[in-house]
Amino acid sequence: MKALDYNTTQKPVWCPGCGNFAIWNGIKKALAEAGIEPHKLALVSGIGCSGKMINHVRAYGFHGLHGRTMPVATGIRLANPEMKVLVNGGDGDGYGMGVGHFVHAMRRNVDLTYIVHNNKVYGLTTGQASPTNEIGSPSKSTPFGVVDEPLNPIAIAIDAGATYVARGFSGDSEQLAELILGGLNHNGFALIDVFQPCVTFGGKYQYEYYQERVVKIENHDVTDADSALALSKTKDKLPIGLFYKVEGRPSYNEMHPEIEKAQVRKRDVTGLLEELV
Amino acid sequence: MSSVYVWKIGGPAGFGIMTTGPMFAKVLKASGYHVHGYPEYPSLVRGGYNCYQIAFGDTEVTAPYKKIDMYVALSDECFNREKFEESTYVIGDFANLKNAGDIKAKKIDVPLMGIVKELDGPDIMRNSVALGAAAALLGLDFALLEKNLTAAYKEKVAKINIEAAKKGYESVRERYSVVCKPAPDKCAPALYVTGNEATSIGAIAGGLTFFSTYPMTPASSILHYLAKCTREHGLVVKHTEDEISGINMAVGAAFAGARAMTGTAGGGFSLMNEGLGLAAITEVPIVLAVSQRPGPATGMATWTEQGDLKYVINSSQSEFIRAVYSPGSVEECYKFTFDALNLAEKYHIPVFVLLDKFLSESHFMAEKMPETGDVERGYLFEGNEEEPMAYFNRFAEKKDGVGVRVIPGTKGGLYIASSNEHTDEGFVSDKADVRKRQVERRFRKLKPLTDDMPHPELFGKKDAPLTFVCFGSVKMMLLEAMKHTDKFNFIHFPAVNPLNWEKVKKMLEGRNLCVMENNYTAQLRGIIAENTGIIIEKTFLKYDGRPFFNEEIVSFAEEAAK
Ligand SMILES: Cc1ncc(C[n+]2csc(CCOP(=O)(O)OP(=O)(O)O)c2C)c(N)n1
Ligand code: SF4
Repeated sequence: MKALDYNTTQKPVWCPGCGNFAIWNGIKKALAEAGIEPHKLALVSGIGCSGKMINHVRAYGFHGLHGRTMPVATGIRLANPEMKVLVNGGDGDGYGMGVGHFVHAMRRNVDLTYIVHNNKVYGLTTGQASPTNEIGSPSKSTPFGVVDEPLNPIAIAIDAGATYVARGFSGDSEQLAELILGGLNHNGFALIDVFQPCVTFGGKYQYEYYQERVVKIENHDVTDADSALALSKTKDKLPIGLFYKVEGRPSYNEMHPEIEKAQVRKRDVTGLLEELV
Repeated sequence: MSSVYVWKIGGPAGFGIMTTGPMFAKVLKASGYHVHGYPEYPSLVRGGYNCYQIAFGDTEVTAPYKKIDMYVALSDECFNREKFEESTYVIGDFANLKNAGDIKAKKIDVPLMGIVKELDGPDIMRNSVALGAAAALLGLDFALLEKNLTAAYKEKVAKINIEAAKKGYESVRERYSVVCKPAPDKCAPALYVTGNEATSIGAIAGGLTFFSTYPMTPASSILHYLAKCTREHGLVVKHTEDEISGINMAVGAAFAGARAMTGTAGGGFSLMNEGLGLAAITEVPIVLAVSQRPGPATGMATWTEQGDLKYVINSSQSEFIRAVYSPGSVEECYKFTFDALNLAEKYHIPVFVLLDKFLSESHFMAEKMPETGDVERGYLFEGNEEEPMAYFNRFAEKKDGVGVRVIPGTKGGLYIASSNEHTDEGFVSDKADVRKRQVERRFRKLKPLTDDMPHPELFGKKDAPLTFVCFGSVKMMLLEAMKHTDKFNFIHFPAVNPLNWEKVKKMLEGRNLCVMENNYTAQLRGIIAENTGIIIEKTFLKYDGRPFFNEEIVSFAEEAAK
C-alpha cells in the first residue's frame, strides 16, 4: 500500500494552509507504512473541521456526533476484533463536549488511536475558544478574553490510563507520521494531541507561534509516568514527541473473553427459562 | 366465578421483603395456584416502606388488588400504610408492634423475634418464621416451603431458615385453624417471570450480542440479567459512563456487525435522544427497551406510569421512522424483543420495546414463552474480492427503501455511516437532490414496516356495553377485571407506531369507547385522533404512580355502563 492509495474521490474543503492537511498526510503515510488495508480500518470522526477527515481517507467510516467519538469507537472495537480503529476529532469535540467519554475510554485502555486536532478554537462554528485556549485570549464567545483555566490533555491522559501519549505538530509532518504509526502499532489507547494551526480563526496560535516554542522531546524515559507528567507541564516551551508509553497492560477487548463466542444466531434459552419455574 | 385471595408482606427496605415475597409466591405456585406478584417500594436502600403483594387464585391472576386477605406485618409502619378489614388476617409479632392496638383485623400473634433468638439467627430470619406461619394458616404443605427455602439460600443458611420456618409453622398450626381460601387449581408448572426478565431472555434468544447502558430504575434489571449471561451466551454487556455513551456504543457495535440493544427509563432516554437520531440517519439497527416511570426529570423512581408514549414516538429532531412495540404481557415482552431485533436489522431503523415499571418488575405466570421465527439479518453485502478498495453504495435502495448493509471488514464494501446527510456511499452532502432522494427512500420503508407490526386486538365479548382502549401493561389489569364484570371489553394496542390506521379506524368505529391509560393527558387518545380522526371522549386515567387496581376498574366499568 502507498499513501496515495488511501485517497478518496472527495476533495478536502479545509481552508488553504490549514493544519489539517499535514494530519491528513501523516495519517495516510502511517497507514501505508503499517500496511493496514482499507477494509480492515474503521475511521471514526467527530463533528468539526477535524471530523471532515472521514471523507478523505479510504476506509470504513463512522462520522458520529459532536463529542461522541469515543463510545462509538469503543463499540466498534468490542464488536469487531478484526478492525483497526482510528479516531479523528477536534479539541472542542474531544476535550470539551466529549471529555467524560475521553477519560473513560482511556481508563478502559480501549485499543484505538485517537488524533485530536488541537487548534485551541472551534473552527467549524467560526472561532469560539476551546478548552485548551489560554486565559486572556479573546474569541467570538469570549470577547473580553478566556477566563477558564486551560485543560492539559497530555497530563489527563497519563493520569487516566492511556498507554501511549504523544503530541505532534502540523509543522513537523515527518514526526507526526511517526507518532501516528507508533499509535497504530500500539496495543491499547493511543492519544496523539496535535498542535494544528487554524489559519482562519486561530488567533495567535499560528505556525510561527508554535515554531518559536516547540521542542522535540529527547532523553526522556517514556515509561516513567512522573517525568512524563512533569514534561507535560513545561511552561515556556512546548514539548512535542512521545511522552509516555507502557506495554503489557491488557487492552479493553482482551478483557472481554465473551467476544469470542458472540455470534448473531438464534439461541436456545430453555435453560434460562427453567431457572424461572 | 373465579376467586382471588390477596396475601401481602410489608416492612422497611432492608428487611428482605423483595426476596421473601417472590419466594412465597413460588410456594403458592407449587401448591397449584395461579399467582401474580406486585412489588411497591420507595427509592431507598434502608427504611421507608416496602411491600410485595401476591394475588393468587384458581384461575389466571394478572393484576393487583386493593383488598388484603392476609398480611405479614414486619414493622409498625404498615399500620399507617395499609387498610385492614375486619376479615383480614394480620400475622405479626404483636409484642413488638406498638401501633397495632386498635386495628380491627384478626391478629395472628407469632413470636417472630423470640424464635429467631431461640435459634440464635440473624434478625432477617424473622421472614422465614413469618412465611412458616403464613403457610400453616393457608394450609400449605410445609415440604413445598422447605424446598423453596433450600433453593433460595446457600446450604447452611437454608438449614437454619428452614428450622425457623418450621417453628413458625408449628406455632400457628397448634393454635389456629386453616383459613378459607380458593381451592388450588393444580395448574401445570409454569414460569414465574418479570417483564424485564422476559425482555432479556427474548433478546438472548434473538441473538443479541451487544448491550450497553447506564443503570436506571425500572430498567436496571435488564442490565443485571444480561450481564449475568455474558460468559455463557456470548454477549458483551457494558455499564457505560452515562446513557449518551450507552447508546453511542451500541450504535458503534451495531455498525460493526453486532446485534445491539440498550435499555433505560425515560430520564436516561432523554440523554439518548441524540443517539437515536444518529442511529436513524446512519441506518444502524438498534433496539431500545424503555421502561416508563413517572417524571419529568427524576420524578418517582420506583413507581409506574405510561407517560413516555408520545415522547418515544416523537423524540429527536427532524423526521424519521421508528417502530414502537408496547407489550402487554411477559409473553409479548419476550416475543416483541425477539422480533424487534429482527425488525431493526430488516429495515435498518431504531426499534423500541416500551415497558413500564408495573410490567418490568411485577411477576406474572406464563406456561411457556411463545414460538418465534428465525433470526433474520436482512440484506447483507457478501463482499467483492475483485475490487477490495471499492466504495459500496450502502445507501442506495435495494427494495422497499431499504439498502444493503455491509459489515466492516468486508472487501469492496467501503462506505461511511454519517450523521450528516450523505450520498449513497455515505459521503457528506447537502445537495438538494441528494437530501430529497435519501429522505424519500428512508420513508419508503414505512409501508412494509407497517405490515410487519402487530395489530390491535379485541379482548372479551364482542357486544359489551363499554370498550376500553389501551396499550402496554394495562392489558393485564383489564384481563383481571374482566373476571369480575361483563360490562366491558377492550382493545389493546401491542404496538403503537407505525400502524395501519385505516384498519384501526374500522375496529374502533361504532363502539362506546373509553381510553384507559396510566397518564394524565391520554396520549394514546391523541395518537388515535391524529391518525384516524376519531376523538374518544371518555377517559379513565391514573397518574399517581400506581397501576389500576382491580376494584377500581370493576367499579368504573359498572358505573360507566349504567
Ligand atoms: C450537539 C452539538 N452541539 C453543537 C454543534 C455545533 N458544532 C459543530 S462543530 C463544533 C465545534 C468544533 O470545534 P472542534 O471540535 O475544536 O473542531 P474544529 O472545527 O476546530 O476542528 C460545534 C460546537 C453540534 N454539531 N452538535
Ligand atoms: S476554519 Fe480553521 S480548522 Fe477549519 S478548515 Fe479553516 S483553517 Fe482549518
